[in-house]
Amino acid sequence: MQAKLRSILVDLAWPVLITIAMLASWEIAVRVLGIRSIILPPPSEVFEAIIARRELLLTHLWPSLYLTVLGFALSVVGGVLVAILITYSTIVRKGFYPVIVVSQVIPKISIAPLFIVWFGTGTMSSLLLAVLIAFFPMTINAAMGFQTIDEDIHRMARTFMGSRWQIFWKIRMPNALPYIFGGMKISITLAIIGVIVSEFVASQEGIGYLIKLAGGLLDTPLMMAAITMLSISGLALYGLIVIAEEHAVYWQAPSDIGAGGGG
Amino acid sequence: MLRINSVRKLYKDLEVIRNVSFDVSDGEFLSLLGPSGCGKSTLLMMVTGLIEVSGGQISINGEAVSGPRREVGVVFQQPVLLPWRTVLDNVLFPIELLNLSRAQYKDRAMELLSMAKIDDFAHHLPRQLSGGMRQRASICRALIHDPSILLMDEPFSALDAITRDEMGVELLRIWQANRKTVIFVTHSIREAAFLSDRVLVMGRRPATIVDEVAIDLPRPRQIAMMEDEGFNRYVRRLRKAIEASHAS
Ligand SMILES: Nc1ncnc2c1ncn2[C@@H]1O[C@H](COP(=O)(O)OP(=O)(O)OP(=O)(O)O)[C@@H](O)[C@H]1O
Ligand SMILES: [Mg+2]
Repeated sequence: MQAKLRSILVDLAWPVLITIAMLASWEIAVRVLGIRSIILPPPSEVFEAIIARRELLLTHLWPSLYLTVLGFALSVVGGVLVAILITYSTIVRKGFYPVIVVSQVIPKISIAPLFIVWFGTGTMSSLLLAVLIAFFPMTINAAMGFQTIDEDIHRMARTFMGSRWQIFWKIRMPNALPYIFGGMKISITLAIIGVIVSEFVASQEGIGYLIKLAGGLLDTPLMMAAITMLSISGLALYGLIVIAEEHAVYWQAPSDIGAGGGG
Repeated sequence: MLRINSVRKLYKDLEVIRNVSFDVSDGEFLSLLGPSGCGKSTLLMMVTGLIEVSGGQISINGEAVSGPRREVGVVFQQPVLLPWRTVLDNVLFPIELLNLSRAQYKDRAMELLSMAKIDDFAHHLPRQLSGGMRQRASICRALIHDPSILLMDEPFSALDAITRDEMGVELLRIWQANRKTVIFVTHSIREAAFLSDRVLVMGRRPATIVDEVAIDLPRPRQIAMMEDEGFNRYVRRLRKAIEASHAS
């Protein structure tokens, strides 16, 4: 346990150092070059803005996070269910699946204004846009996970008289888990984008709205404070998924991807 | 008794097996020896009931085989363990599929694992085991529900020569203790001669049985026996049968 904690700290050391170095050079550059904070506030000023206007930031952050998490959850549940349909229904697999895949070339953000025409300005549009763009990667990943089971494993289960139901729960489901988590990591990021974009175009609240509003007021420190809060929240959500994944997909060997030597 | 009666198999127009007949008596250790691609796996899969015969019948104790059956256990060429289950849970997998009580079979699973000398790894994941240990686990899995027939499709072919010989000895030890009917597919002549009561030599596709050799060597068999003249006589005999089938 101690060794694990140590290795996590060692892994974190470099990224943290580099982030600090970048923030420091940003701070110094802004001061030395005398850039006005309306153009680019130094990190210290962004930090001040976060502290000073935390209430305003939080009032707008919560609805966005709520919609993001809700949209994400709907996408995951819906995506997994549709993936199961794709796996077990020939009609869905042969008919709808190709359509779903091809429809991915549509830049879904461009549909946002259309959603406002249909569902008005407000939470419904935001939620639906989040689901629209977070849903498909989830579906496609999960469908892949349910379908790419090892032929030998399938044959083994059948010789030991496994039923379709047993094969689903005991083989397809665990097999799909790594894929589902891969899909979740894409979906959470997309759900955030969906919510923020729809708040840009049509909303009276939310962090996306606040960013737009601050932009209009040329309050750059507030804008950057909002972006910072949003990024931290996004990172936290992503981190939660990674932690859940490590527990759920316990059987995969911890891999150390990368071509670099050392260690 | 297991009876293969005039069995044929066609994949579309490709005739893989032509008129194969043989009986395996209860408790017999029978090997199928033949070149790669001759149809050994196909024949074995037909005995499991996963592949249909194109002609003829396969029956177990007089009952025609039409699908997977409880009294059959299978060991595949690869261990085919589920990576998310511990070794013990992998061994108990057929028990779950048969809707039997896991608790009731746990002791038996541990016994099998200790017989296969991997009981120390019962709670490890497959990726923490060597190839030979995984294959031993898969043999335990095939035996857990106490099938009367054990089908083995080149179970040791992925192992190095030394481990392979050791596994053969261990398999015989387990077989001696349980006395299953075994059909063992291999393309190793020495392996077939070492393990079996009887060896059926299969010819090139379309497969037929070209020769049948009873191995009258004393049991229990030891690795040292492979040096004996008696053993090597059987090896030469089997090799000749295979070469004759190639020439024709
Ligand atoms: N599903 C299939 N469809 C068509 N042809 C097949 C199929 N399965 C096997 N065959 C053919 O049947 C023949 C016998 O295959 P099989 O796997 O039974 O051989 P084998 O004796 O087990 O070979 P090996 O020793 O290499 O495992 C091969 O020529 C193969 O191409
Ligand atoms: Mg084969």
